[in-house]
Amino acid sequence: MNSPYIAARGLGKSFSGKQVLADVSFVVEPGDVVGVLGKNGAGKTTLLELVLGFTPATSGGVQLFGYDSYRLPGAAKARIGFVPQQDELVNQLTAADQIGVIASFYPKWDDELVGRLSREWEVDLNQRVKNMSVGQRQKLSILLGLGHKPDVLILDEPVASLDPVARRQFLEQIIEVAADGNRSVVFSSHIVSDVERLANKIWILKDQRMYWQGDFDSLKDSIVRLHARATRPLPESFAIPNALNVQRNGTTATAIVRGWRAEMQDNLAQQLGAELEVEQLTLEEIFLELHR
Amino acid sequence: MHYFTNAHGRRFRLFILKPHSGVPIYRQLLEQVRRMAASGHLPPGTELPSIRELALKHAINPMTVSKVYTLLEAEGVLERNRGKPMTVATPKRAQSPVAKRLEQLEPHVEQVALAARQLELTEQDVVKALHDSWENTDEQPVHRRTRPR
Repeated sequence: MNSPYIAARGLGKSFSGKQVLADVSFVVEPGDVVGVLGKNGAGKTTLLELVLGFTPATSGGVQLFGYDSYRLPGAAKARIGFVPQQDELVNQLTAADQIGVIASFYPKWDDELVGRLSREWEVDLNQRVKNMSVGQRQKLSILLGLGHKPDVLILDEPVASLDPVARRQFLEQIIEVAADGNRSVVFSSHIVSDVERLANKIWILKDQRMYWQGDFDSLKDSIVRLHARATRPLPESFAIPNALNVQRNGTTATAIVRGWRAEMQDNLAQQLGAELEVEQLTLEEIFLELHR
Repeated sequence: MHYFTNAHGRRFRLFILKPHSGVPIYRQLLEQVRRMAASGHLPPGTELPSIRELALKHAINPMTVSKVYTLLEAEGVLERNRGKPMTVATPKRAQSPVAKRLEQLEPHVEQVALAARQLELTEQDVVKALHDSWENTDEQPVHRRTRPR
């Protein structure tokens, strides 16, 4: 049994008395690809920064490779890759020099990989950072996060400025990392369809808390839209257990249900005296329904 | 287009996966492999793409593919071969001897025999009924079907 790469317990953070994250716990195992979802301001960036040890936790803590992430030894730091939301590139440098500066920190730097990807991703190594488009800067920033082949790769909105072709190339690279089986990726993204393809675990942050976390497949199976159709008008008192949201309209009703299991259908249909249809939702629909 | 070749040397399109659907990707893949194996589209011995290959082609998480292959192996649909690609397995039923398969049928036969006695039917009546039923459940030529009495 492998021990988890990342383990957080009761993690909380306040900035000048304002709570931005409260009581968050999770683990990331080798091979996991975690998609972090949440509205703007839900605490995604703070969460990632706590994992990286950029800022101390106000309560609880995070362990990274078994060390307190805020007091991480150098050797453990070398096993992390990070792509920030806002790149930290140096405007005066050319792409090649920027790569050289970062590479000098890592004995395990993979020149071959970075060279190949910069060609495939069409990153002009001779161009100065200040003359690059936002998309080019983002690609370069991702290259810098990948070059030392980190065991844990953390990306904060890595694809916001990429075109669909570049996004697919990026996805393929993440798949390569995940296919290794011993490396993990944690990424936040508003591009729900990318999360849908890549993530095996989902964290949904809402109101500074971990609102839902777990296996992605079980998320899609456990949150569904139920359609009920009865022959007689449904009573006022009509209720569906675990429903987030019930809309009743004469003989029909729809509801978003949490904690759904397929074997509940027959029982519930009998109980309600209605015909039930289960509609499975896309991740985007689930996300929207949870934020109504 | 993504194709792979089955044991008869015919080329097939790879699976059609829609990540942006309510059905989890693993279930889409699971059902497609299961169906294609059952229908003979993927005859026993057909090599499946590697986990990495399939994950890259569809831009999906390799763990999803790995999970499906493991589940299908447990079901006996696929076979793992050391250092070689996974292959479609020979259906288990065909491998087990007649006696073993008859054993599985026994409780059903017992039920029929018991019911037939309670209905005071003769052995011949039952054999005849079974024969008709047998013809009816034959999957292949439709014209040979007889109507149930």
